[in-house]
Amino acid sequence: MTPTRIAIAAALASALAGTVAISERAEAQGKMTVEKCYGVSKAGQNDCQTDNSSCAGTSKKDNQPDAWIAVPKGTCQKIVGGMVKS
Amino acid sequence: MTLALREWQATFAAQLAGGGGEGRLAIHRHNISSSLIRSLGATLSTVRALVGEEFFRQAAQAFISRGLPTQPVLAEYGADFAGFIEAYPSAESLPYLADVARLDWALNVAFHSPRLEAADLSAVPPERLAASALVLAPGVALVRSAYPLDRIWAVSQPGAPEGTVDLDGGAARLLVHRRADDATFIALGEGEAAFVEVLGEGQVVEVAAGAALAVEPAFDLTAAFARLLACEVFAALRQ
Repeated sequence: MTPTRIAIAAALASALAGTVAISERAEAQGKMTVEKCYGVSKAGQNDCQTDNSSCAGTSKKDNQPDAWIAVPKGTCQKIVGGMVKS
Repeated sequence: MTLALREWQATFAAQLAGGGGEGRLAIHRHNISSSLIRSLGATLSTVRALVGEEFFRQAAQAFISRGLPTQPVLAEYGADFAGFIEAYPSAESLPYLADVARLDWALNVAFHSPRLEAADLSAVPPERLAASALVLAPGVALVRSAYPLDRIWAVSQPGAPEGTVDLDGGAARLLVHRRADDATFIALGEGEAAFVEVLGEGQVVEVAAGAALAVEPAFDLTAAFARLLACEVFAALRQ
């Protein structure tokens, strides 16, 4: 076995020793009894919801997406500096 | 004119996607786009927060016009949004936005991934572990950015304290992973990122450690491995 592999094995062993101690501590605190297997959908990802306004099928906004150009104005105002784009 | 059912459905679907159709058909079309915009907003919540509701709706509408979902799960819609926003002219002033979309998407994927019992690697002899490849847990992903993506993400969360982020604050390497009830990320060092990346390619631990040392001579394998174990990044030994 190469000296490198021995060094790597030793490093992994100490990392694992540390984790065992952590998981034992978690065990002592009581195991989680509830566990979800999959994430629960966020609002909006559930199903095809109906907007209150959508029965007004004449909404012009929807059919003219290019009629106006929105400007980003959210938390991007908190991001400052950066390379100047030409 | 009488259409066969098949033709009628095809015509209806085409009109829902935006082509032609009059009057009440617009109601259906509007429902589809508002559902999809809402879904994209939930999936890409940080992008939405950054650009604001109005801009997001417009960008999402443009994205939707390129193609409706091809599968029935709404949470799986938007995989290529990052690529879209990168080329979206109106977002040109926000060069980091595509990376934010990538992070949002990776978190979404991790969130919807099954959570497996983490591999018990303590039973594996360390010498064998060094020569083994490891399977990363479902949803684990490395997102690299030339921008301080973790801080950009943090200031865009609901209830984030006031403050600014300097876009020149340095590159970020974020490891997205599943937790018990949600998904999260940790910022990795250069060596750690290389380690995970090379492991993700199916290389053995020894090779990954070598790659990490090559990019970061002070790479601490023990600390890095312990950190990754704590995040339950490893699902199994690769057979």
